[in-house]
Amino acid sequence: MKRIIPLFICLLIGFSMIIQFFIPHPTSLEFGSTIYKWVIVLIVFALVLAIGNLIRHHGTKIRRQKKDWPYSIVTLSSMIGMAIIGLFWGIQAESLFQKIYLNVFAPLSATMFALLAYYMASAAYRAFRARSLEATLLLAAAFIVMIGFMPFGQYIHPRFPAFAEWVMRVPNMASQRGILLGVAFGAIATALKIILGIERAWLGGKE
Amino acid sequence: MKWYEVISTIDRRIIYVLLTVLVILPFFTRVTIPQNIMPQTQRLFDFIESVPPNDKAVIMTFDYSPQTMPECHPMAKALLKHCFARNIPVIGVSFDPQGPGLAVDAITSVVDRINHYATSKEDSLVYGKDYVYLGWKSGRIAAMLDMGESIAGVFPRDYFGTSVDSFPLMQRIRNYKEVAIAIVLSAAAYPDDWIRYPQTRYGVNIGAGLTAVMAPKYYPFLQTGQIAGMMSGMKGAAEYEKLVLEHGYARELGTAETGMNSQSMIHILIIVFILLGNIGYFFSRRQK
Amino acid sequence: MSTDPWIWIGAFLTLMIFSFLFKDNPFYKFGEHLFVGVANGYYIALYWHNSLKPNLFDPLSAGNYLYIIPLLLGLMYFTRFIPKISWLVRIPIGFMIGWGAGLAIPAHFQAEILRQLEGTVITPESFTNITAGIWSVIIMVGVVCTLVYFFFSREHKGILKPTSRLGIIFIMIGFGASFGYTVMARVSLLIGRIQFLLGPWLGLIR
Repeated sequence: MKRIIPLFICLLIGFSMIIQFFIPHPTSLEFGSTIYKWVIVLIVFALVLAIGNLIRHHGTKIRRQKKDWPYSIVTLSSMIGMAIIGLFWGIQAESLFQKIYLNVFAPLSATMFALLAYYMASAAYRAFRARSLEATLLLAAAFIVMIGFMPFGQYIHPRFPAFAEWVMRVPNMASQRGILLGVAFGAIATALKIILGIERAWLGGKE
Repeated sequence: MKWYEVISTIDRRIIYVLLTVLVILPFFTRVTIPQNIMPQTQRLFDFIESVPPNDKAVIMTFDYSPQTMPECHPMAKALLKHCFARNIPVIGVSFDPQGPGLAVDAITSVVDRINHYATSKEDSLVYGKDYVYLGWKSGRIAAMLDMGESIAGVFPRDYFGTSVDSFPLMQRIRNYKEVAIAIVLSAAAYPDDWIRYPQTRYGVNIGAGLTAVMAPKYYPFLQTGQIAGMMSGMKGAAEYEKLVLEHGYARELGTAETGMNSQSMIHILIIVFILLGNIGYFFSRRQK
Repeated sequence: MSTDPWIWIGAFLTLMIFSFLFKDNPFYKFGEHLFVGVANGYYIALYWHNSLKPNLFDPLSAGNYLYIIPLLLGLMYFTRFIPKISWLVRIPIGFMIGWGAGLAIPAHFQAEILRQLEGTVITPESFTNITAGIWSVIIMVGVVCTLVYFFFSREHKGILKPTSRLGIIFIMIGFGASFGYTVMARVSLLIGRIQFLLGPWLGLIR
């Protein structure tokens, strides 16, 4: 029973979603939309679980005074502070919550990602070697795109940008589509296996 | 140490310093290298050009985060300028939780500037008549599908808490039948959902403004017409800014165009470094 | 130079994170931990106002008791901490997985398989323009060879060997092109930060 009930729920919901997609009747749309609202609620519960884990992790670090524990105070207090501001004073456009979002969260997250520019440049210099035919092709395609899409590309040859565009539109497109189709076939096969209960790894455990 | 060993083991800090200097320098030079326009950007521009004024609306989805603001924010502003200049109403929505703050910033900065130069009341943009921003909704797939029946049903109130039914624009635009195109400005796979769900069911036209990392993946959809047009990365944004300026829809270029000079410098720098690394590798292998 | 304290906060936080390029240091660690905290706090408030309240508590308080189902399903997530009934956690997981799988099948099939195959097949119209016709042939060959490369159910021998070899060539060109685009993306993010420091903060550029 510990396995049959979850498998049955999976089968039931899976099939009803497939059927629902092909019937554009208002009742069917209403059904799909209700199920989706439940899914939203479930996602939030999963998020609660994740945040619970985060609090536990940093709480333990502070209690046991592990390495760098004062930073855990920064994380926990800023999380609680931000949540309280949002929960009690609202999240509308002119709120303090949005001010903190735009002037604390945004610069921090944007700069974290900006660091990638440095790492990418240094990694490309270190690792990008024309060791084989495949690697050479990869390098050539990268150069064509990098030169062709920059404004200076047209000064190397007036048709260089068009050539770069062709690389994107023909060989790149073909490989992207191949991968897309492969992924789509794979996703459908896996989805079917899950709904029909052939793939049961998600149940975990023995019982 | 041989010369080829030197050029293939340059310290990373030298690369970092050069990179920083070359990003900053172009901001203080007055050189602007003209942009060529990529076909997919032109297609998106032409699509908006073909939308009759004061008729169907354009949905813009602000689904990017602060990390990718330098790419998507100028796209949003250029598109807004284009739509407003052609009297095409805009409905803004977000399905990414990080979108709303940036959406409000983009919309208010464009609207304030247009209204600043407006000579008459008719030239000014009015919230609720010319544009609305409906805010963020969790559960995007259901929301995208339900908007095909009723946009106000999914967003009963706008981002600022006003009832959507009170806006003249939303009384006229009820669902996708009155929407010319939905343009997804995004840094994640949001266009996939737009293509899979509302387009398959309601036949909505989809446009995209994507980060450069994502753009190559969407070429297959451009070829099939599932995406009507696309801006890719900062270059796409700069191209759109240029098109909007050339057609007299804007007074000046945006931030993407000025950023492109730095882009050019860094691209040259990275190419040079990759070449140096390979020359070093080639000669050291020959020695062995 | 800006007189807005918020801009100064943004600028300092930006510099704190950039300091990591020199080496790991307390300023970076502070910024990093602040980021994790603020981000989670942001999501808590946002999901409460826009997800949990309108999709669970509002309908429940309005007397729509159907919403007890998602509440119970959600609470089942926490049974994983109670060994005796921990199997109940499989129910919300089964619900979510079933939903995702059911939704994926028709959507992937229509948008990604049918339409993409339509775009690949060569028809007489593909040859209205001779160069466009040649490109269509290359596209079809590329798509087929890429798919063959990922076909692992059979050993790549005989006809499959050269086909998958051609497939990897297309894939490498695709990856190279993607790398070229990625350079542009990553550099854009850095340009954005520099624009912020030089513009709104220092007032050196417009």
